[in-house]
Amino acid sequence: MRFALTDEQRDLQDAVRSYLRDRFGPQQVREVYEDPAGDAVPDKLWASIGEQGWLALMVPEQYEGFDAGLVEASVIARAFGAGTVPGPWLGTVLAAEALRLGGSPEQQAAWLPRLASGEAKGAVALIAPGNSPRPASAGAEAVQGRLTGTLNLVEYAAVADVLVVAAADGLYLVQPGEGVTVQALDALDRTSRLTTVTLTGAAGEKLAGATPEVHQQLLDRAAVLVANDLVGIARKALTDTVEYDKTRVQFGRPVGSFQAIKHHLADLVVHVTMAEHAALYAAYALDSGAQDATLAVSIAKSKAGDVARQATSDMIQYHGGIGFTWEHDAHFYFKRAKRLEYAYGDATQHRERIAALLIDAAPAEDNSLGGGTAVGGTGASQGTGVAAGVAV
Amino acid sequence: MDLTFSKEDEDFRREFRSWLDTNLPAEMRTGAFWADKTEDESFSIRRQWEADKAAAGFAGIVWPTEYGGRGGTPTMKAIYDQEMIRANAPTTVNPLGLTFLAPTVMFLGTEEQKKTIIPELLHNKTIWCQGFSEPGAGSDLAALQMKAERQGEEYVLNGQKIWTTNAMHGDKIFTMARTGAPEGSKKHAGISMLLVDMHQKGVEARPLKQMSGASEFGEVFFTDATCPVTEVLGGEGNGWQTAMLLLSFERGSSAISQYTEFRKMWDEVAAYARETSRDGKAAAQDPVLRQQLAKSLVELECLKYHSWHVLTQTSQGKDLGFEASMTKLFWANTFRDLGDVYSDIAGQEFQLTAGARGASRQELTSMALWSRSCTIWGGSNEVQRTVIAERVLGLPR
Repeated sequence: MRFALTDEQRDLQDAVRSYLRDRFGPQQVREVYEDPAGDAVPDKLWASIGEQGWLALMVPEQYEGFDAGLVEASVIARAFGAGTVPGPWLGTVLAAEALRLGGSPEQQAAWLPRLASGEAKGAVALIAPGNSPRPASAGAEAVQGRLTGTLNLVEYAAVADVLVVAAADGLYLVQPGEGVTVQALDALDRTSRLTTVTLTGAAGEKLAGATPEVHQQLLDRAAVLVANDLVGIARKALTDTVEYDKTRVQFGRPVGSFQAIKHHLADLVVHVTMAEHAALYAAYALDSGAQDATLAVSIAKSKAGDVARQATSDMIQYHGGIGFTWEHDAHFYFKRAKRLEYAYGDATQHRERIAALLIDAAPAEDNSLGGGTAVGGTGASQGTGVAAGVAV
Repeated sequence: MDLTFSKEDEDFRREFRSWLDTNLPAEMRTGAFWADKTEDESFSIRRQWEADKAAAGFAGIVWPTEYGGRGGTPTMKAIYDQEMIRANAPTTVNPLGLTFLAPTVMFLGTEEQKKTIIPELLHNKTIWCQGFSEPGAGSDLAALQMKAERQGEEYVLNGQKIWTTNAMHGDKIFTMARTGAPEGSKKHAGISMLLVDMHQKGVEARPLKQMSGASEFGEVFFTDATCPVTEVLGGEGNGWQTAMLLLSFERGSSAISQYTEFRKMWDEVAAYARETSRDGKAAAQDPVLRQQLAKSLVELECLKYHSWHVLTQTSQGKDLGFEASMTKLFWANTFRDLGDVYSDIAGQEFQLTAGARGASRQELTSMALWSRSCTIWGGSNEVQRTVIAERVLGLPR
């Protein structure tokens, strides 16, 4: 029994954290923030992300990847959340995942090495904004390999070399060119760039193996990475607030000595800790094919969204007036959390998925507690991974 | 990451499960069996069953064999807790002794104390009470007034303790008393932890009826009661430090058994929601109640993950320290909130002690009521939050 990162995973975490501390801190984030016309892909940062292998973690070895899992990728996502790191890391990783899970060997060979190194950037339109996380069109229809439709709120489509698009009948690869128009959007969180992609008969290459199950798997993996970004945000918002309230003096004493603030932050650290557990377990559950993986994803995404909302709101509140200024970093966290809270299913939608899994079906008689492979694996009542996810 | 158990651990599970299959009669696993027993009858059946279990070697799982324990691992203890709940086995009659006193004795007791206290406690020869709270000293424990004056080789005790679990069944009580004066404003000084025989003229226990209607706690009056000066745990004047150590054993250790118990309750509540009508449909189909139920499940499963974290730490020999307050605060709130979800589903029917689903509903209601005490005992939520803020987050006093 060991519910914790391995030594290797911990080393990876140290590496990404120390890189961000030394090379890409709040000042560099702010430069991206205050350059709304820029593409929000700092060149040096992107080059380093590729060189360090942080895009290649889940890519198979034969395509120059590390064959590692979602737990490793989650380590990166969490550190990037804590650092409010800009760039198309998530889109590139998810595009590679779509190819790994649903691409033909030719498609994989063409794209995976380039996406793994960062030479090519990816973007994904796997779900229409506002929808629950299940396989459906993100807004495009395919007719004889030609895609038409509007894809809303696609991250970093303007810089992407390849776009993975969910059409009604499956997933397609689309490259910039004829029939593809990308319009930049003015958005709150400037640690990302959101776009509208309009397809008018754009050439699409179908991912041959991209079944609805694969599509669901991608949505679940995206939700877990986003959940980890959110808990990274939440922990950092909490830590910075605690440090500030230790030294900010009002009424002749540090404001952190007042019980009203203490008790609130005590509740917060408990929930941040629980969300961290949930985000870690969800990644592991998908990696290991645990019976309760679908449930774990929805637990992680709903808990992380709720906690990040609370933590970033508290960060503003318990910094007082300075926390509401543009000059302070609190809004970086708040706005990034707001963007991610609603991505790949919001807390309410994920709770509805939990309800469908556990409330609608009467659980099996023996709510088997351990005795199998994991402590408290609660048996058949939790559905069976991908298939159950599709059914809801 | 590795969420599996070792072969030794799984062998232990099989062995214990099979012992339970043979030695825990089916009728004792049902609520109906206990419903028509008096509290005294229930207590005595549970006391005997638990003693038989100890005799079979299933007690003191992590304690050394030389003191009557099994010498097992923290993981085996977690498995033991799960299997007990899975089997609907009777809960222990000696919780204060098992959870608080024994680990403290193991940590700082004399060899003599370890050899006598622990085996007698394991076999229910001695039922232990805890005498901490007083009418004027609840969360502010150091304000306690009970006096223990030394007269020759004895302390003479005068004072009153309250909210004492098993007051009417106790053989002995570990209790906090003033053996010396506070040092100026340091009221934590001058307190000792004494081990007092309750079967003596100067000790009188009276039951207190709880809001659930049960009388599992009471108050204990000391009027010139005595205890030998050798019956001090942790040394005279060190009572505060001893008490803090003692409380730390409870706050974090049992997350896995809390989860297991509450998850069973959640499954019952979900089943009840499927059968209860709300606006002509099942309550389970009400979109708001579904959200509440799902949210409760999220918190519960987080408690499970957290219990793995706790188990990982304790298996590596790490002390949870003040983080244990986070565990206590979280499980207590999660349990209480589940009680509220249940009452939202029951609605007006929450008032009825019987009704649909009979025994199951009675048990749910009694758990929902009991959950209201869990945010108070063992350090109230407010005390835990202060501990977390100051000791975990490092916020100034």
